[in-house]
Amino acid sequence: MVDFAAFPPAFLVLAAALVVPLLSRRGGHAVGAVATAIVAAWSVVVPAETYLRTSFLGFEVALFNVDEFSRLMGIIFGLVGTVAVVYSYASDAENAQTAYALSYVGTSLGAVFAGDWLTLLFFWELMAITSTLLVWDYGGAAIRAGFRYAILHAIGGSLLMAAIIWHYVEVGSFLFTAADGIAPGLPQLLAALGIGVNVGFVGLHAWLPDTYPRPHVAASVFLCVYTTKTGVYGMLRAFPDGNVAIAYMGGVMAVFGATYALFQNDMRRLLSYHIQSQVGYMIAGVGIGTALGQAGAMAHVFNHILYKGLLFMTAGVVIYRTGTESLKKLGGLGREMPVTAVAFTVAALSIAGFPLFNGFVSKGIVISASHYDFPAGPVAVGDFHTLELLLLVGGVGTFLSFIKFGYYAFLNGEYAGSVEDANRGQTVAMLTVAALCVFYGVFDGALFAILPFDVTNGDVVSHVYHTYTTDHVVEGLALAAIGLVGFALIKKPLEKIGGNVPDVDALYNPTAFYGTRGVVVGVTELYAAVDRLAVGLARTSGEAVRSLGTGVVSIAGRPTELRTDIRNGVLLVVFGLVIALAVVL
Amino acid sequence: MTDLVPIAVALPIVASVVALLAGLVRSRSGWYVALVGSVAQVALTAELARRVVADGAIRYVVGNFSVPYGIELVIDGLSATMIVLVAVTALGVLAYARRAGPRSNPFYGAYLLLVGGLTGMSITGDLFNLYVFLEITGLATYVLVGSEEGGRSAVAALRYLLVGTVGASLFLLGIGYAYVATGTLNMADLAAVIGEDVGYTATLIRASFAFVVVGLFVKVAVFPLHTWQPEAYASAPDSVSALISALVSTVSAYALIRVIYTVFTVDFLEANPLAADLLAAAAAVSVVAGSVLAVAQSEVKRMLAYSSVAQFGLVVAAASLANETAMIGAFVHLVGHAMMKGSLFLAAGVVATATGARTVDEYDGLGERLPVGAGALAVLALAMVGVPPTLGFVGKWYIALGAVETGSWALLAVIVSSTLLTLAYFARLIERIFFREYAAPAGETGVAPDDADVPGDADVVADGNGLPADGNGVSTDDGDAPLREDVSFGMYAVVVVAALLAVTLGAAVFEYAQFVQPTVTRLLS
Repeated sequence: MVDFAAFPPAFLVLAAALVVPLLSRRGGHAVGAVATAIVAAWSVVVPAETYLRTSFLGFEVALFNVDEFSRLMGIIFGLVGTVAVVYSYASDAENAQTAYALSYVGTSLGAVFAGDWLTLLFFWELMAITSTLLVWDYGGAAIRAGFRYAILHAIGGSLLMAAIIWHYVEVGSFLFTAADGIAPGLPQLLAALGIGVNVGFVGLHAWLPDTYPRPHVAASVFLCVYTTKTGVYGMLRAFPDGNVAIAYMGGVMAVFGATYALFQNDMRRLLSYHIQSQVGYMIAGVGIGTALGQAGAMAHVFNHILYKGLLFMTAGVVIYRTGTESLKKLGGLGREMPVTAVAFTVAALSIAGFPLFNGFVSKGIVISASHYDFPAGPVAVGDFHTLELLLLVGGVGTFLSFIKFGYYAFLNGEYAGSVEDANRGQTVAMLTVAALCVFYGVFDGALFAILPFDVTNGDVVSHVYHTYTTDHVVEGLALAAIGLVGFALIKKPLEKIGGNVPDVDALYNPTAFYGTRGVVVGVTELYAAVDRLAVGLARTSGEAVRSLGTGVVSIAGRPTELRTDIRNGVLLVVFGLVIALAVVL
Repeated sequence: MTDLVPIAVALPIVASVVALLAGLVRSRSGWYVALVGSVAQVALTAELARRVVADGAIRYVVGNFSVPYGIELVIDGLSATMIVLVAVTALGVLAYARRAGPRSNPFYGAYLLLVGGLTGMSITGDLFNLYVFLEITGLATYVLVGSEEGGRSAVAALRYLLVGTVGASLFLLGIGYAYVATGTLNMADLAAVIGEDVGYTATLIRASFAFVVVGLFVKVAVFPLHTWQPEAYASAPDSVSALISALVSTVSAYALIRVIYTVFTVDFLEANPLAADLLAAAAAVSVVAGSVLAVAQSEVKRMLAYSSVAQFGLVVAAASLANETAMIGAFVHLVGHAMMKGSLFLAAGVVATATGARTVDEYDGLGERLPVGAGALAVLALAMVGVPPTLGFVGKWYIALGAVETGSWALLAVIVSSTLLTLAYFARLIERIFFREYAAPAGETGVAPDDADVPGDADVVADGNGLPADGNGVSTDDGDAPLREDVSFGMYAVVVVAALLAVTLGAAVFEYAQFVQPTVTRLLS
């Protein structure tokens, strides 16, 4: 019997991250791929309820804890980690970058396998640091974006820390098992906002499209997987019974992200907005909070990681081969890069939720939950509930923007010159994931088997979910049709608007800039004043201390020798005795 | 088989006599006698500690007298900690003293006598007997401090003798008052009689407390009764500095805790809140004053000595809280401080032996000249500051936790600021070791001492020496500052092992806390 508890998956990957820089490029990436693959396999076979309780700074913590939620996260994190390492190798990533990426993967694994809030927070903060390093490693524009990313995540982490400390004061334990989610009231609000930064709540999401397009193409593949999905997982732990406001926030994210994505011309920026949109579905599922909703959220996490990773890989290949980020300057690549085009098509159909692709399955669960498990809400149209409508509209937006992406990148016009298709490593990575996308779309039972709740069992969920019902398939096809027609209609106006649609960061970057400037100027002046004072004080006390060392102290301007010879020593003892007697008696 | 208990005291004393006698047959045989004695002592105390772990406290009455009259020896979790610490430290320092000396047989006689005295102080259950062992310890220490050749250590030993004797006499007076009030000298018996018959607020008992505490404060070297300590530590031979800095004040602090809580008990402190305040105030003053004075020193060993004043302030502060967590912290810090401070003195000795550097200024660029010694010194210094996960951190953590539990916010502030103050004087040392260039002695005369503190000048000097740092370092090693080659492997090994232990033992503290928990609970009940 293998002792699973003695084998924390996070540390295996972190150890690999330490080794990678010492090896050759081939060897290092092989180690990284094997380590993440082991994690995936470990997550499949590890028995539930495996845990490692220990004590840290006098608090009881669970260094890791396996249940069906963390198992699913472990499987997909390990799996896509392996693919992303292979892709990194094929895309000429340096060992240092892959080492940062692996440390990022390792800390994410630590966070999702944590059994208590303190451990989760520990890895959560480390994850923010390692991902920042991963962004910074690329240099150039990534440095400043990385700074903004780091600041926002530091704020989010601090909010979460405040929530967790408050939670501890209320509950008296950090363990997940000690309470049902975060303590109600202010701690919940703080936690929602703190985690909200990671999952890209509308208003807190600007780091997503700001950061993810900047680093190396392989780094983007890592980034798009771990931070937001760990956030979804954290949200689920914080709100195991759901929350109406969070559910609606999910719906708004789905629409907002898809809409903004539609305006983007930078491929990875477009994809980044879609992360927000897709995470919206997951957050909606978490917010609904029933077995069906949570199962849908987890299923969507799993599927989303597959197709979003694949999308970033295809966009990465295009950038890798052409050096161009903007859809405006591309076109006709379908004939030049057939493999990439096929992979993109699979991913796009998956994310948009087309029947027979995996997105269709999991998005369907969430929408089903929003219909059967959630109140109708203020704007119910016919049989469609408010949240359901938001999610469906988000689906149309997704179709629209991916039709746009595919059209401008692969179909429209001719590409001047000739471009090679993806190289062998990239092809292997992309086709593996593409095959999985189709596999989980066709054989939905394989996905249901690893979900925390059995959605096909009427005893577990309120409404048994069947992927392929006539209504559902019609719904998927209808969305696609609306998307196609819609794209034909808005193609012209869209070209005029271009990619310069201001997002919230247009507001808060200047606010932050001028605000910070004001603070800096004020602080600088204050600092100068304090500095003058402190230097003066330091000089005086420095002289005092120095003279103390020599035993000569200036008392009232007169240098006085202050040596403790034997006589004084005995005197002091007597003096001490007198004081002690005076105090005690 | 409780006969082992008195042997723990008798063995080092007998070995001490053997060392003296062996000197008549053959000079310089003392080290070997001390080695055999120390190894046997380690084995013996380890066995006793094992029995305490297995069966709980051991009590032994010397000479078959009945308990309140005969001398009782008691080994519980805390005294077991002390005797093992004493034995192990003595053995560790021996490895250093093999090459570094002193080498005379009388020296090792005193060395073993000190071990015997300290062991006796740790396990005695009789107040007067504690005084006897305190004097044995004191006398042995005076001899050891004076064992360096030259006048400086002789004067320091004399000062120590006079101040220490005054302290011991006050302690004896305190015992006398207690005896007058109660008619008994057995610690457990005293506690019972004071509680039941005499009362905690009786003038005699209060006076006794004041005398005993002040007497022991002198031995622990709490500010401002520390005046004997810096000069004694600084002028003694390096091996002696290490041994006494690690053990003498430590066991005295243990005796202080033992007397306060076993003889006077927690109820006394509750009945006389001012007495507890006295302890806390003395501790707080000691922490701050000791640290500031440490910053002011230019000689490294004096700096380490003043650092001890501050650290024992911390221990007394923890003891004054009468809280279990803080008390465990006090013992963790006692053991941790003993190990770290003793090894810091040894590391300073290694540095002095290899390079001749004894002042803070002379430590410039030590990292390149003596990487192993400087590295170990830096690690020990950081452990002393309390950087996680070292032993120094864990001790302070427990003490701070205890302060929080009892709501002593002022003491908490002192504890936290003590970390900063400790950082202040060790950072100064570490900065010089690793971030300054070594200026050859010839160049040193050209630079006025006052200017040496200005970083700009140091940089100019560094640049002037030539840009290729590596080549420069090599030439410095070969030409200007030849390393003296008389640092033995044993000297290095002790320091490096201690540095490693200081970092790794933090992990074992949890088990240790569980081990002493019952004893501490009984002590504070």
